[in-house]
Amino acid sequence: MSASIEIAGVSKVYDGGVRAVDAVAMDIRQGEFFSLLGPSGCGKTTTLRMIAGFETPSSGAIRVDGADITHVPAHKRDMGMVFQNYALFPHRTVAENVAFGLRMRGLDKATIAAKVKAALAMVELSGLEDRRPAQLSGGQQQRVALARAIVIAPRVLLCDEPLGALDKKLRQQMQFELKQLQKKLGLTLVFVTHDQEEALAMSDRIAVMNGGRVEQVGTPTEIYNQPTTRFVADFIGDTNIFRGERTAAGRSLDVGKGLILALPPTDAHGTGVLSVALRPEKIRIAPRTDAATTAGSSAHGIVENTNFLGGAVLYRVTLEGGHRVLVQQPNAGTSRLFVPGNGVTLEWTPADLVVLKD
Amino acid sequence: MQTTASPSLTAVQQAASARTPGPIRPYGRYLYLALNIAILIFLLAPIAIVVVFALNPTPFIQFPPVGVSLRWFEKFFASRDFMHALGFSLEVAVLTTLSATVLGASAALALARGNLPGTRLIVATMLSPLMLPAILTGLALFQTYVLLDVGRPTWGLVAGHTLVTLPYVVRTTLAVLHNFDTRLEEAAQNLGASPVRTFFEVTLPLIKPGVLAGAIFAFIVSFDQFPVSLFLVSPGNETLPVTLFNYLKFDLDGTIGAASVVSIVLAFVVVIGLDRTVGLRSYVKL
Amino acid sequence: MMKALGSSRLSRRRFLTASASLGIGTIAAPYVARADDPTLRITGWGGKWGEIMKAEIGPAFESEFKCKLQTDSAFPYLPKLQASSRSAPIYDVLHTNSNEQWAAAEMGLVEPKIDPKLVPNLADVYPYAVSDKIVGVSIFTSAIGLGMRTDKGYGNVTSWKELWDTKYNGMRGGYVIPVNSLGQAFLMMCGTLFGKGQTDLDAAYTALEKLKPIKIVDFTGAMEKMLLSGEVGLCVIHDSGIYRYDGQNQPTDFVAPSEGVLSLEQVLTITPGSKMKELANAYVNYMLRPEVQKRLAETVWYSPANRRVKLDAKYDAKLLTTPEKVSKLIQVDWKWYNERKDEIDQRVNRIFRA
Repeated sequence: MSASIEIAGVSKVYDGGVRAVDAVAMDIRQGEFFSLLGPSGCGKTTTLRMIAGFETPSSGAIRVDGADITHVPAHKRDMGMVFQNYALFPHRTVAENVAFGLRMRGLDKATIAAKVKAALAMVELSGLEDRRPAQLSGGQQQRVALARAIVIAPRVLLCDEPLGALDKKLRQQMQFELKQLQKKLGLTLVFVTHDQEEALAMSDRIAVMNGGRVEQVGTPTEIYNQPTTRFVADFIGDTNIFRGERTAAGRSLDVGKGLILALPPTDAHGTGVLSVALRPEKIRIAPRTDAATTAGSSAHGIVENTNFLGGAVLYRVTLEGGHRVLVQQPNAGTSRLFVPGNGVTLEWTPADLVVLKD
Repeated sequence: MQTTASPSLTAVQQAASARTPGPIRPYGRYLYLALNIAILIFLLAPIAIVVVFALNPTPFIQFPPVGVSLRWFEKFFASRDFMHALGFSLEVAVLTTLSATVLGASAALALARGNLPGTRLIVATMLSPLMLPAILTGLALFQTYVLLDVGRPTWGLVAGHTLVTLPYVVRTTLAVLHNFDTRLEEAAQNLGASPVRTFFEVTLPLIKPGVLAGAIFAFIVSFDQFPVSLFLVSPGNETLPVTLFNYLKFDLDGTIGAASVVSIVLAFVVVIGLDRTVGLRSYVKL
Repeated sequence: MMKALGSSRLSRRRFLTASASLGIGTIAAPYVARADDPTLRITGWGGKWGEIMKAEIGPAFESEFKCKLQTDSAFPYLPKLQASSRSAPIYDVLHTNSNEQWAAAEMGLVEPKIDPKLVPNLADVYPYAVSDKIVGVSIFTSAIGLGMRTDKGYGNVTSWKELWDTKYNGMRGGYVIPVNSLGQAFLMMCGTLFGKGQTDLDAAYTALEKLKPIKIVDFTGAMEKMLLSGEVGLCVIHDSGIYRYDGQNQPTDFVAPSEGVLSLEQVLTITPGSKMKELANAYVNYMLRPEVQKRLAETVWYSPANRRVKLDAKYDAKLLTTPEKVSKLIQVDWKWYNERKDEIDQRVNRIFRA
């Protein structure tokens, strides 16, 4: 029942030449929780609206299960959508909202009633059938919007920042429930968000977008552990990014100010300028020793800032040459915290360095 | 009217009492009440005088009234001229309300959604009949009809009334459209509603309060319309205000008062009727 | 005696029989006009005049002349006529007061004279009805004089000048001169009373100034009511505005001042562009017929212009029905007045605004 979506070189150019979406290509698999992640203005919402049929691509094609739907009007696409502000019909009751799509499909009253009942039960809103949207809490409205979208058994469920308006606790709960529901129904779900944690937590795969283009498509671990571009590395989580020139031998990177980084063994040796990323949690921190540092995989520095996060501690360390580095340590409970001014020695494994495309 | 007035009234009261703490509070409150009563008297006094005039048996305004009589109402309802004028006025007002509402609401939709060039200019043009003295609108239309040699048909009168009532509908509809969330329409389409179906299922019900308010304005403005009608009525087909005006020149008696009372009651009936049937207050939370 | 144009289908006797039964309801069976019947477009007053025209006089004309009479009784006539094309005017016959007829004639909207050859009854009218102060023909006139309350002990009023007596302060009534014919005629009378004649405007302005305090209204009907309610005790008014309450025992009376009464004429003219000239002339002639004149005169208390009309005693006693009584009529030079109307309006507005 759920469908796959193929977005083939789709661009959207607005009057005045603004390129909102630029040659986006991606394949969304059947039954997949697929997120479009990026900062505001990156083109993720426009892409979603083109899938929904609210915008027409300037070029390129969108195919659902192989069939070109680029110019099929929105009301014939058979896709469910949960809007950012839920877009519930204020003049209709909860039950009428949920029944809307079924009514448009010309189902008989009894079937509609049964399906509405089931859908509301699924989102745990039984008993609120006769309320108006304005009488519901934000979380309840969100569930109605969800029930309204899935009751039509859509080929694809589209979600435009559906959890953005909820407070953090409720939001985490809804993330979990949405994910459960998606798995249970085997829905193909396209999820737009600017919240990287949300995307990492829920998605099967993520497309990170920036400036109208897709930077990287991958599973959450791929996106986090092996970002391919400087933007992705920077946008997803905290990271340290170094830029420098390969040394003559080609096995390490001179990032200036006296710091040389050994390149990972997987790196194709070459010459030229390169950026690398190193996650804060991949760096080990220890009290400063007088021993000389291992060239390429350790450095001395002074703690400048200590940020206790509960489960972890985040340090900002200034290296001897002047580079500033973020270091994250799990909170083991026993170890004492370094305080600003402490001398430390940092150490890392060259294999944890990720080479980035610019 | 009353429903919109009372909440703001209490709000003002609360604000006023919040600002004047201590023993001054009741004083300010009485002052406020006195002011409101004065305004009410100012607004209702003319109606009271008309009612007294209509019920007083003497053929002139007299204080104190010498008695209560329905003779002027009898005369009004027995007069074929007045009854014909009343019927004709209602007919014109209903036709005007229909055309002004359909045209005005469509125009407002096109202006709010159409992405048309020169929207501001079009809005200004649409609202311009409000700025122009209605008597000039009437005269200009009359001359146009004379030039076109179409005489003074009923549709011409309705067109004139539509012209001066259109701005009310455009205005009130634009006001609700201004706050309208277009995602609601997208949601409907997403759920399988065609654009036409979306309009009737979602757009229209949601802009209804504005359209309806405009329609009520249109009805009342048309029903009471004098300056535009003055030139556009044809012999034998005069609207009530024109008939009253001409009657007034020869016979100033309580029939005028009776006709005014009937007009006021009718306007009330229409407003309350529309409110009850179609509902003005159902979607206060939009 | 009857000089009807063409053959009269409506016999005098039948007309009179019909008229006699009017008290019960409409008589002349409404003539059912056929689609190809010519239509004569006229103007006409509302009120009692309109009622009897619609119920009786109009239908009789329609059936006699096989035509349709379309009466516009919605003011204002002059701007409508002005706005329509000269070659296809909106009216064939214009019925209005003399001052408006003069304005219309000055603009060339109506023909200044009626041809006596086409309207034989013109031969029977009093001279004032076709005088040089009249455009077209005056078919009726009212007399403008003073209206007074008889229950206030004012004594015997005989002169216009009584109005200036201080004992009427707060009880005298007049008109908004720019919009009311009676007020305009009265202003001319002031010139005659206190100056060198009708055109002595300075004398008139001084006299008006001395009339204050005065209650002024724009409609004549409003003055009638103010007199009836006792709000005013002595006012400028036309005789028909008093006599129409005859039989109601109202404590009001009309005074024809010794200096003469002003005439308020009901004037008919024909438009030059009319396509119905023959019918228009027939209508004017019809309105001057003695029996039509009598019927209307006794309904609305207007003095008939045709000197052959014999009114019932009650009406004959009060209306201007003899050459002697008619000789008391003072006609206003509206042509002269209209040329200065703007200037006069400004001046009187200043006087009464203060």
